[in-house]
Amino acid sequence: MAVATDLMDRMPIVRSLEDFNQNSGTKLERLIFNNRLVVVVACVLATLLFLFGAATKLTLNASFERMIPQSQPYIKNYLDNRAELRGLGNVLRIVVENTEGDIFDPKYQETLRKISDELFLTPGVDRAWLKSLWTPGVRWTEVTEEGFRGGPVMPESYDGSPKATEQLRLNIARAGIVGRFVGNDFKSSMIVVPLLDKDPATGRQIDYRALSRTLEENIRHRYEQDGSGTRIHMVGFAKLVGDLIEGLSQVMMYFAIAAAIAVAIIYFYTRCLRSTALVVACSVVAVVWQLGLVAFLGFELDPFSILVPFLIFAIGVSHGAQKMNGIMQDIGQGTHRLVAARYTFRRLFLAGMTALLADAVGFAVLMLIDIPVIKDLALSASMGVAVLIFTNLILLPVLLSYTGVSAGAAERSLRADQAESSGKGMAGLWSWLERFTERRWALGAVGVSLALAVIGFVVSLQLKIGDLEAGAPELRADSRYNKDNAYISGSYSLSSDQFAVIVKTPAEGCLNYQTLVEADRLAWNLQQLPGVQTTVFLGNAVRQITAGSNEGSPKWLTLARNQNVLNYGAQQASVNNPDLFNNDCSVMPVIAYLSDHRAETLSRVVEESARFAEANSTPEHQFLLAAGNAGIEAATNIVVHEANRTMLLYVYGAVILLCFVTFRNWRAVVVAIVPLVVTSILCEALMVILGIGVKVATLPVIALGVGIGVDYALYLLSIQLAQQRAGASLAVAYKRSIKFTGKVVALVGITLAAGVVTWVWSPIKFQADMGILLTFMFVWNMIGALVLIPALSHFLLDKPARSAQFNLSMLRTASR
Amino acid sequence: MNIRNLILPCLALTLGLPLAASADGFRDVLDTPARQSPFAAKSLLNGVTNAGRRVVAVGQRGHIVYSDDAGKSWRQAQVPVSSDLVAVSFPTPEKGWAVGHDGVVLHSVDGGANWTRQLDGRGAGKIMSDFYAAQAAKGSLGSAEAAAALIDEAGRIAAQGAENPFLDVWFADENNGFIVGAFNLIFRTADGGKTWEPWFHRTANPNRLHFYALRKVGNSLYIVGEQGLVQKLDAAGERFVTLETGYRGTFFGVTGSDGAVIVHGLRGHAFRSLDGGASWQKIETGLQDGVTGSSVCGEGRIVLVSQAGRMLLSDNSGASFRPVKLEQAVPASAVACLGRDVSVIAGARGVSAQVIQ
Repeated sequence: MAVATDLMDRMPIVRSLEDFNQNSGTKLERLIFNNRLVVVVACVLATLLFLFGAATKLTLNASFERMIPQSQPYIKNYLDNRAELRGLGNVLRIVVENTEGDIFDPKYQETLRKISDELFLTPGVDRAWLKSLWTPGVRWTEVTEEGFRGGPVMPESYDGSPKATEQLRLNIARAGIVGRFVGNDFKSSMIVVPLLDKDPATGRQIDYRALSRTLEENIRHRYEQDGSGTRIHMVGFAKLVGDLIEGLSQVMMYFAIAAAIAVAIIYFYTRCLRSTALVVACSVVAVVWQLGLVAFLGFELDPFSILVPFLIFAIGVSHGAQKMNGIMQDIGQGTHRLVAARYTFRRLFLAGMTALLADAVGFAVLMLIDIPVIKDLALSASMGVAVLIFTNLILLPVLLSYTGVSAGAAERSLRADQAESSGKGMAGLWSWLERFTERRWALGAVGVSLALAVIGFVVSLQLKIGDLEAGAPELRADSRYNKDNAYISGSYSLSSDQFAVIVKTPAEGCLNYQTLVEADRLAWNLQQLPGVQTTVFLGNAVRQITAGSNEGSPKWLTLARNQNVLNYGAQQASVNNPDLFNNDCSVMPVIAYLSDHRAETLSRVVEESARFAEANSTPEHQFLLAAGNAGIEAATNIVVHEANRTMLLYVYGAVILLCFVTFRNWRAVVVAIVPLVVTSILCEALMVILGIGVKVATLPVIALGVGIGVDYALYLLSIQLAQQRAGASLAVAYKRSIKFTGKVVALVGITLAAGVVTWVWSPIKFQADMGILLTFMFVWNMIGALVLIPALSHFLLDKPARSAQFNLSMLRTASR
Repeated sequence: MNIRNLILPCLALTLGLPLAASADGFRDVLDTPARQSPFAAKSLLNGVTNAGRRVVAVGQRGHIVYSDDAGKSWRQAQVPVSSDLVAVSFPTPEKGWAVGHDGVVLHSVDGGANWTRQLDGRGAGKIMSDFYAAQAAKGSLGSAEAAAALIDEAGRIAAQGAENPFLDVWFADENNGFIVGAFNLIFRTADGGKTWEPWFHRTANPNRLHFYALRKVGNSLYIVGEQGLVQKLDAAGERFVTLETGYRGTFFGVTGSDGAVIVHGLRGHAFRSLDGGASWQKIETGLQDGVTGSSVCGEGRIVLVSQAGRMLLSDNSGASFRPVKLEQAVPASAVACLGRDVSVIAGARGVSAQVIQ
């Protein structure tokens, strides 16, 4: 109790307000507590305003562009040419399967026609390029004695009769669309639905959630009824985003669970309903403000920023609990509730600020990552932390000054404190932790940590970049989307992982002989790489058409030198395959279909493409990386790979700086940082073990883990160093530090973990990954701090008093 | 000037390679050796033939592959060009010729493992121009108009450079052979390809139709091509004369044995003549797609292959054909036989051996 008593000595028990000097305390404290009503009213008004904003303006979305690194050169190339790259961008593939027969069933064709029409009329669909068996753009051609003959695959006179069906069968065979528009087993056919980025009627971005719901209701739900024999499979970025947004709604539900866990923890800790309600209410207010700010600043909630309220709530609850703890002890000793609130404010405002600042640093570092969703995450989390200063460091003590705490709880808090002093309750654990200041235990702890770190490091060398599983990695393997994706991959020839090199030429340049030959070389080079299934570009179509105009002779499957032949080929290709080049023939993709999107596959393709582009780009034909989902993923991998290292560097740099400013002692900085480093290494090892690659979603984990994790060291070491400075031995100093803040450290660790652990059940895979990793980091950082700080102090901080002068804002405030 | 720009020409000079890159950095396919690739035997191959016990196939991007184990495994030859190749002929187990786009003619003296260039489209036009200018001077081209037309034609082809492909090659022995191609292109050699003599004036092809194939059947040499073109070298060996099948669609190939000649082509059409091409009977193939390849597989046995990957077999020198069940129907361009019971089919997905059942 020495510390507490020391501190109490300067803050005498004041039973009645008349005995309290209203003008004591800092300017800020006087400003706040002498205008309590103003503070409360202002906060209520602000809460109502933000609630209104959050309720009316906040939307869930996840835009394509915001998840990719905007200034990466490959992405820039993609964005610059995106409008010209039809078919590579935002395309939905909807496969209609006949579970009771094949596609020649007239009933199936009727369903397919209805679905095709329905999709044609769906807002956001780029109608001109919609393709299905029922659109005239899907054509067959044939060489006859008279020359070319062709027409739409669906006979114009199709009426479901056996004759028409036979014609359809023949047309499908002649068109060579099996594996593209018709499943290899003839049990399904595909509707290719290109989407617009903006609704032409409203000029607004396509609402993926609405689109996805429309698809679910108007297509899947309506046509996939029992006994219909129809099954719908849908893939494509828009559907993925739609499913993600649906997942987001589900994740929002988890907030209630996280809040419930927090309430249980606080109640267990305080046994006071009144104060539990207050702490939770203030944290909820913080979340409302944060969401309101997000809404007013015009941001949307995406799969990343949706997680911020969880963190803000958890941080808020842990800070609130500390405030309450102090007030409770004061009240238990008989101090008037307003005075107790002011004492607590005095004691903890700056300490709380420092801890919140450390959190903010963790978030702010994320700003350096050039991916808009991560920047948004950083911004909205930073705002949330700023909000916490108001709600939990100011509003909460003010509210507590009105309500006080229940007398029973206050007494209990005192009793528990005394019980621990006399070796009961949690005392066993605390005194066990104190032993780590002794040489043997310290050696053991450091040795074990070192061993863990080395093993962890060795394991972490296996860490992969990017997504490791098939299908859409954002969702779980057994999600509907990934099942659909697996079905489509199984029944159609072309994989869903496309990597495109953009060939850029002057107008009319893409059908130039030299350009086509160079593009053909690139395509062939790429085809040599393991993981590339096939390549497609204009040249393939031109070869086919050249052969076609020479009676279909395979000897003419060539890129002719004669420009007229090439012109004719390209002109014909533009009818049947308009996505092979743009209108003025200045942009043409060379598309590689990949067997998977693992980082090795992507980097092989990137390496070869980049080498080729470097060696063969001329003003007449530039080869630019990259487009296609795999191209974008490859670029993202490159950015993530770089960002992963730089971000670690920055977050540790920032945290070290912060620690140094607080402690003014490099040894103390080492003591504070080493546990974090061990946890970071173990976290990477855990990622290897769980098969989680470094990706956009895991970048924030380490930053948050370290940024928030340093709080523990700030609490523990501040007291310890102050005690040592006051002349206490290390053992005594740590003992007191543990007494004063051990509970708080444990509480912070548990509430933070409770806040993020619910993510583990998210249908969005990367949120679940983040949940696992952050829970691990928060808990392990806590354990690391409690065990390693005394152990490392034994070696580094045994006699710090001689050398160091501390600038402990916390203690200064506390002892004022 | 950057270093790479310096190194490349030096390297090329050292290795005796033609100075490849033009001013704009583009390397012509005629100056770019074929790339070695494990996929060479699995991508488009248009010509296949026997070279003794070996099988040699030629195709896209200068790919030439050969197999010594009846098509089980394939090795890729060294080829100085990456032009699309379409046909190959081996009159002896060692000596062979391959032709293709860009007017390229390649020669091998080691059974198809290594190839050198004998001719390409950049040189063919000059050979023609020089030849016809000399002939005209000698007055051996008949009328002045005929001579002028041939000189004109030679000039036009010379101006087109490497635009025109050779579409088939056939050698009788290691010295005598013909190459034919698009737009009435035809040359003959009597010295194993050292020199080539234009034969444009010896065909009956006023519309300059493509010649798709030439083969010796029995004792006569036949050419087939566009729009029902069938021609036969006359008894004196001087001129090709027109034969009439009555069909106006394109013929892709000619084959036959034991006094029967078979021509085949577009939309399942095939015709057979037992009188040296004077009269023709339609063969009911039952096919709707182009019959692209054919081969004689020993005494009286003939196979036909089609673009949709069907195979037809006759055991009576083409009097009747029946479908052969194949393990996998892949688009076929050409076929060769290893004995009576094994065929090697070349096509869009490469080359594969099939047992004839």
